[in-house]
Amino acid sequence: MAQIKLFGYTDKITVKAGDELVFHVSADGTDTAEAQLVRLIHGDQHPDGPGFIEKEIACEVNGPWQVAKQFTQVGSFLTAEDPQGALRLDGSFTLFAFIHPTVPAWGTRQALLGRWDIQRNEGYCLGITQAGFLEFWQGDGKDIDYLKAELPLVANQWYFVAVSFDARNSQATLRQVGVGNRYNSRLGKVAPVEYDSHVRETLRFRARNQDDTPFLIAGARDWHELRGHFVGQTYCGKIDRPGVYQRVLSRDELDAIATGAVPTDDGRVCYWDTTLGYTEHGIGDTVIDIGPHGLHAQGYNRPNRAQTGWNWQGRNDCFRLAPHEYGGVDFHADAVLDCHWQETRRWRIPADLKSGVYALRLRAGPGIGLAEEYIVFFVRAATPRARIAMLMPTASYLAYANEHLSFDAQIVQAMTGQPPILAAVEMEMYKNKEFGLSTYDKYLDGQGVNLSSYRRPVLNMRPKARMSSMGITWQFPADLSIIGWLEAKGYDYEVLTDEDLHRDGAAALAPYKVVLTGTHPEYHSERMLDGLEDYVADGGRLIYTGGNGFYWVVAFRDDEPWCMEVRKLDSGMCAWRARPGEHYLATTGEKGGLWRMRGRPPQKLTGVGFISEGFEHCAPYRRMPDSYHRRADWIMRGVEGEVLGDFGLAHRGAAGIELDRYDLALGTPPHALIVASSGGHTDNYILVTEELLYAYQGLTGTQDHRIRADMVYFTAPNDGAVFATGSIAFGQALPVNNFDNNVSTVLANVVETFAKDGPLPGAAWISREKQFR
Amino acid sequence: MENEQASARWRNPLKGWQPAREVDEVPTDPWRNPVHAPGRYTVKLFAIGRLRFFHKFRAHGKRLWHRTRYWPTRRRVLDVRGGYNPKTLAAEKTIRDKRPLYWLTAFACLLALPLAVPDSAANTLYTAAAIFGIYGAINLCWMLIIGTAGVSSLATYSVVGAAAYGSAYCSIHFGMPWWALPFIGVPIGLVFGLIIALPATRLDGFYYALLTLGLNELCRTYVLQSKVFGSATGGLYGAQSYIPDSLSADGQLLLGYYASLVLLVMALALYRTINGRRLGRILRMAPEQKEAFAEACGIDYRRARIQVFLLSSMALGFIGGFYAAHFRGASPSLFSIDTVALGLAMLMIGGMQRAEGAVLGTFIVVGLHHGLVGLGPLRLILIGVIMLAVVLFLRGGLFGIKPQFRAWRDKKKSENRSTRSVKGGEMLPEEATETFDKDEIYRRRFDKQQRDFLKTLVTAQVIEEHRRQPLGQHSEALERLLMYFRRHPQQDKYAIEVLEPFKAYRIVALSGHRGVAPHDVEEKIYASTDDAYHGVFMRRVQDLLES
Repeated sequence: MAQIKLFGYTDKITVKAGDELVFHVSADGTDTAEAQLVRLIHGDQHPDGPGFIEKEIACEVNGPWQVAKQFTQVGSFLTAEDPQGALRLDGSFTLFAFIHPTVPAWGTRQALLGRWDIQRNEGYCLGITQAGFLEFWQGDGKDIDYLKAELPLVANQWYFVAVSFDARNSQATLRQVGVGNRYNSRLGKVAPVEYDSHVRETLRFRARNQDDTPFLIAGARDWHELRGHFVGQTYCGKIDRPGVYQRVLSRDELDAIATGAVPTDDGRVCYWDTTLGYTEHGIGDTVIDIGPHGLHAQGYNRPNRAQTGWNWQGRNDCFRLAPHEYGGVDFHADAVLDCHWQETRRWRIPADLKSGVYALRLRAGPGIGLAEEYIVFFVRAATPRARIAMLMPTASYLAYANEHLSFDAQIVQAMTGQPPILAAVEMEMYKNKEFGLSTYDKYLDGQGVNLSSYRRPVLNMRPKARMSSMGITWQFPADLSIIGWLEAKGYDYEVLTDEDLHRDGAAALAPYKVVLTGTHPEYHSERMLDGLEDYVADGGRLIYTGGNGFYWVVAFRDDEPWCMEVRKLDSGMCAWRARPGEHYLATTGEKGGLWRMRGRPPQKLTGVGFISEGFEHCAPYRRMPDSYHRRADWIMRGVEGEVLGDFGLAHRGAAGIELDRYDLALGTPPHALIVASSGGHTDNYILVTEELLYAYQGLTGTQDHRIRADMVYFTAPNDGAVFATGSIAFGQALPVNNFDNNVSTVLANVVETFAKDGPLPGAAWISREKQFR
Repeated sequence: MENEQASARWRNPLKGWQPAREVDEVPTDPWRNPVHAPGRYTVKLFAIGRLRFFHKFRAHGKRLWHRTRYWPTRRRVLDVRGGYNPKTLAAEKTIRDKRPLYWLTAFACLLALPLAVPDSAANTLYTAAAIFGIYGAINLCWMLIIGTAGVSSLATYSVVGAAAYGSAYCSIHFGMPWWALPFIGVPIGLVFGLIIALPATRLDGFYYALLTLGLNELCRTYVLQSKVFGSATGGLYGAQSYIPDSLSADGQLLLGYYASLVLLVMALALYRTINGRRLGRILRMAPEQKEAFAEACGIDYRRARIQVFLLSSMALGFIGGFYAAHFRGASPSLFSIDTVALGLAMLMIGGMQRAEGAVLGTFIVVGLHHGLVGLGPLRLILIGVIMLAVVLFLRGGLFGIKPQFRAWRDKKKSENRSTRSVKGGEMLPEEATETFDKDEIYRRRFDKQQRDFLKTLVTAQVIEEHRRQPLGQHSEALERLLMYFRRHPQQDKYAIEVLEPFKAYRIVALSGHRGVAPHDVEEKIYASTDDAYHGVFMRRVQDLLES
């Protein structure tokens, strides 16, 4: 019997009573699985903590589920719906496009545009061979006939490619012309490369065109007996302004198109003007056809828009300035944004389900390892009642969803200072492209992954999961340590997510007196950031229980909250860097990169911002003189000695992993107090790149005073306040000694004080305050 | 010195920050300067760069390249590969398969042969050349049977003989015209082929060869003793021929010669049709000893083998008919053991599984046997010697010389390189110039320097320091070692697999290839992450010292 494997995801990540949640499950080696709804309390199995804690919840979906193997369409492409069959080219025709292949010769055939059926050998297609040559092929159901270019395509160069087929004499002519300029391609003029190739041959037969074969850009139809139809021969690279004519275009006409002329409408069937549709607020997945039939093409797995086109001149850096230079649609053969699995089960959230972090636990066979799956989702309150809210940083979960750093990033061991510790589920993820990539990975063509979604099994958004490269919990399972602390302290709290904050803004937070963040709320959309800022300014009290937060600019479409876009560029600690000219988000039209580079350093909101990271050692905090000031000494009530958090589930310290520092120059409110700071960080901690102008020796933990976590407290308008811990490891120090320790005491002081109505102790700093102290 | 070593200690700069836990001070070795000038090459460096022997054509660039095909196939007249010269980036074309050119040249020479033949040798040469044509055709069909179908049949000449006898008989007794003889041969060949094919489904290799040899002998004995087939006259003669008696002696010779050439061309076309198309491809998937694999892939190789066998037998029957029409009859020598032996020599000398091998082998053997009749039995010895030499020294006959030479040259090249390599792996010019990314050349040089230095840092003290605290701040020596290890390329880089969290770990190695899971390195189970980290460190140290 095959090994039993269970994987699943939900259509939504955040729900409230009355909402309907759809589960999508795929199973190998079994057709039933035992389902059990659980509330997750703690996720870190580290022996110094309380271990994994879940509470089984009685519920109608518990019990055996019928499950089945499901398949995932990998790769991004465009489909042109063509009900009239205008693209059934039975006579003469011409296909053309500008292309920028990123890995032309990676050993797999790649389709550019055509109506090709791989399984039946029917139709026509312009594509790239396994060895990286442009080729036109067509099939009559039995045989395939080919016409190949003379020279291979050079990677990362722009080309104009075209094929015309003359039905009168069965002559096909293939053309490939280099259209690189000083900016748009990898090689410049000085490289003595001849790109052009014009080949003509007489083909043996005409293509047989079936009615149901779809016209695809960057893919071709395939079929499998278990799976049915799917798209194969997906492409890596950009395609710009492709077109189809029902006549042979002359060389002069093609030369004119290759130099920028708009193709005439004589014989034009389709011309997808990829530069149309840009607005001030980005662009969607529809590629507009200006031909007579209006066969607009729809993207699958979100082909990347807002990418530079063949005629990009290096002067304009955004599609908002020059949309006609941004015709590049970027395809990746290993993109996965939505598994589109069949629905396994549907469940309406009952009214009496308490807000919290939940998972549907599925078990089959041995019920451990791959035979156990937790499908995580968050239940928020339909009517908020609690005073405390935990804001789960789901945008950051998306960013790290199914990261492959240990496997694919050579630098990661140097960065984390240790060999990775790999779990079986990660090996499984690495072997299967179906799980997709994170924004910390690169597509197989070397381009950074700028999109991520939760409509696929997110295998590291699971309790018990550990970040293999760092040997600790990370993001979701680390945040469960804060949830576990809230539970252990017996606080009445409710849970909400980044998605709710993005959708409702400050209104989502307004009902709560205190909001706690996760351990690493790194990714924020403008609306999320605005919401938090307004919440605090309107009197809300924010506890930033983490490090390296509020860092990257991200964006969501209103109708697709499961998919997030990020572009990493210029400066910042990043896994990849967007290409020149591709720095603006296609989703919203805003500039990507760090919030700091857009004038909103995290210090402006929380008083602290990212300064350093290291992953093999954590250190304690020491109280700073400010903590003895009466404005803030209540924070340290019950704390003995000066050292805080010389323990923790993350490398035995409360300050570490990623550190944030107070910086007046970056907008820390000038009245902010540093109540504690960490110190004694190793040389694995290195100053972040956005702090660097020149790199020089000594920018490491033992030699640079800036490398530290600052625990900062300040008051905000309308009795608002912010308390920031400035360290990711802080949350993982809470569970030590069964949640009874000095870090826990500090946080409890802050939470309990923040949760009270009225002004904060010492906030006004007037003598009257003595009365309540 | 002893004292100095003992007194060298590294002090943790974090001392004071965390009094309880950290290592404050460890014994260490005296500091060594990591900056060294790279050493000189220890081997002599030669000027390198081999100019290419083959002409490269310039690519067409902006001009249209109109390619022609062999009608009605999709094969281009010449298999030309375009590409960029890695040394100059010039766009150029290479003819990947020059065989069509060689064939054309060879046939042009054969066509023009009469211009170069002296009158005195005309008789011998034309006779030999006609025999070459006929035997070449037979051997091509035989090559289909042995090479393509992989059936070790030695009864090829008996099929030809049977068809020759049969058609000669028909011609003599029923007055069949000469042009009908090949077509009478076809069904005879088919029937004979069927008879021989039957045991092929049950018998393997050697036994089947013996059986067919026996069959051959049976035919010979039969025709030698059969009155009907001319036991008295030493053959069956008197069949009609395509060579008119009215023609002059020279004319007759010439006509026979050209007709045999046409037969050869037809056999070549058949060979190409079967071997180069579906049947041949199927059978190439199922070579001897690997039939089970092919079968598992869904290939019905038995059926394909029988098909090829029967098609070839029909072709052999056709040739038998032509033989009768050419020689005006048939002789028992067709069945003789020396014919089979010579035929085998022809195949072996040229090289198996290729048409040009069969033709060249035939050319050589027929040339020696019929062209140098003056040498007497010596020429048979000569053929034997050539065959022996081919079997002893060549893997794929004469046409296997080129790949064999290349393999030998590459072997020698790598042998030479290994004797010349600089210890530690720095690239020599001969390897460096073939490296696409020149950055790699420097990386290797730097890496060598680095390793030479790092090896001096590995001491018991450093290992003990790592064992005590695998993660955290380390002495400079240990830190340098670790930093080097961590930056190793992903391929075969060590990692740890968790078997049971916080209880059992194992060391694995990353694949460095997308989608390929890590592979096992050792079976040892480590009880904690610290133990596993140290296990990885010890492996890395060992790899460093061994490199």
